[in-house]
Amino acid sequence: MINFFSLEAFKLRHKLRAWLGPLLIMILVLIAFPLSIDISQYDLNKFYFSVIVVSLLMISFLATESIFSEDYEDGSLEQIHLEEKDFYKITLAKILVHVLFIGIPMALIGSIFSFANGVSLAEAPKIFVILSISTLILFNVFAFGSALSINKGSMLGVVASLPLALPAIVLLGRGVRTVQYGQGFFEVSVLMAGVALIVTALMPIIISATLKTHLE
Amino acid sequence: MFLGFSCLAMGWIWGLAFAPEDAIQGNSYRIIFLHVPASIMAQLIYFFMSICALMHLVWRVKLAAYLIKSAAPVGVLITFIALFSGSIWGIPTWGTWWQWDARITSTLILFIMYLGIITLHSSFSNAEKADRLMSILVVVGVVNIPIIKKSVDWWSTLHQPASISISDGASIDPSMLYPLTISIFGMALTMIALGILVSKLYILTREKNKKWVQSHV
Repeated sequence: MINFFSLEAFKLRHKLRAWLGPLLIMILVLIAFPLSIDISQYDLNKFYFSVIVVSLLMISFLATESIFSEDYEDGSLEQIHLEEKDFYKITLAKILVHVLFIGIPMALIGSIFSFANGVSLAEAPKIFVILSISTLILFNVFAFGSALSINKGSMLGVVASLPLALPAIVLLGRGVRTVQYGQGFFEVSVLMAGVALIVTALMPIIISATLKTHLE
Repeated sequence: MFLGFSCLAMGWIWGLAFAPEDAIQGNSYRIIFLHVPASIMAQLIYFFMSICALMHLVWRVKLAAYLIKSAAPVGVLITFIALFSGSIWGIPTWGTWWQWDARITSTLILFIMYLGIITLHSSFSNAEKADRLMSILVVVGVVNIPIIKKSVDWWSTLHQPASISISDGASIDPSMLYPLTISIFGMALTMIALGILVSKLYILTREKNKKWVQSHV
């Protein structure tokens, strides 16, 4: 497992566009939104979380858009399939590496921007925790969408997997509200962590089956 | 189909013309004779599709995939009817066409799910591969069904909780319950008949190069 993880980390680290691109787009979206609307800072603080949540959703999709496509196109996936290597571990490693390199920095960016928009320094780490757990769920879901539409373009991936991501967004919204109102954070974050664990355990199995279907 | 239409007509005529007025909602509640059967069917069709998807994935039953592909458009239609009738009911009861409420939003997600399944299947020229990928998506998407069902209990929503429950019985008067039950039964029969009709056409299209189809047509 560690070998797979190191290999995937090595591959992603050398694809600057794949991990830096989504982070830059997230920053640009979060900067662009306040500039595009003429409201008071007080009003902006009230719904800036929504902008963070929606940008997290869209950038998560963007970050996982080509998670399997390169390996599919250069024949690596086929080789793995022929060698009967464990697809589950490879898929899990890919998702975890993407979460580590893109998801966690995205959560950090989100919490920094929320801090700049009215969240206190004490509450910013809570936002970071909630966003980090959410990225884990979203990356799994969108990796599934990406696996489904591996050679059919990203739009199909969105159509197929976005409905599955919306319950995660509902949870994320609830998590953010607990920080805003200062109660129930622990309960909601534990619930989200539980969901994230289940999704992370199951989704690589489903993705493996999907990839094998493409390769058969 | 005839039996389904007859039951639907009977349930609707009974419900619209003979059932008593609701004490709080007045006559506007009568839309339940369309809305409730459509909502139940929207979820049941997806549940049926997920069973077929499992059958297709585990035992590679070809017919199961054909049934999923045929049931999906029926699901789109009935979910749209559920959403649209709910929206019409929203005006007199909630004062709005649409509310971002847990039940309504999760039903909208179901609607998009149905569309996603159809889109996914039509994107692949290899029909067998499309069948398997569609089945995987249907199985994963079944997670939405308990969310829809329990959304009114898990979240504080505008949408009222279920009036008919297997464990707690019905909380509505028998004079409304009987036509509603007949409407649900009629809608189920109509959907089954429609599903069979669509499946028949789809099987003929898919198997068009087979000898038995050529001799049949």
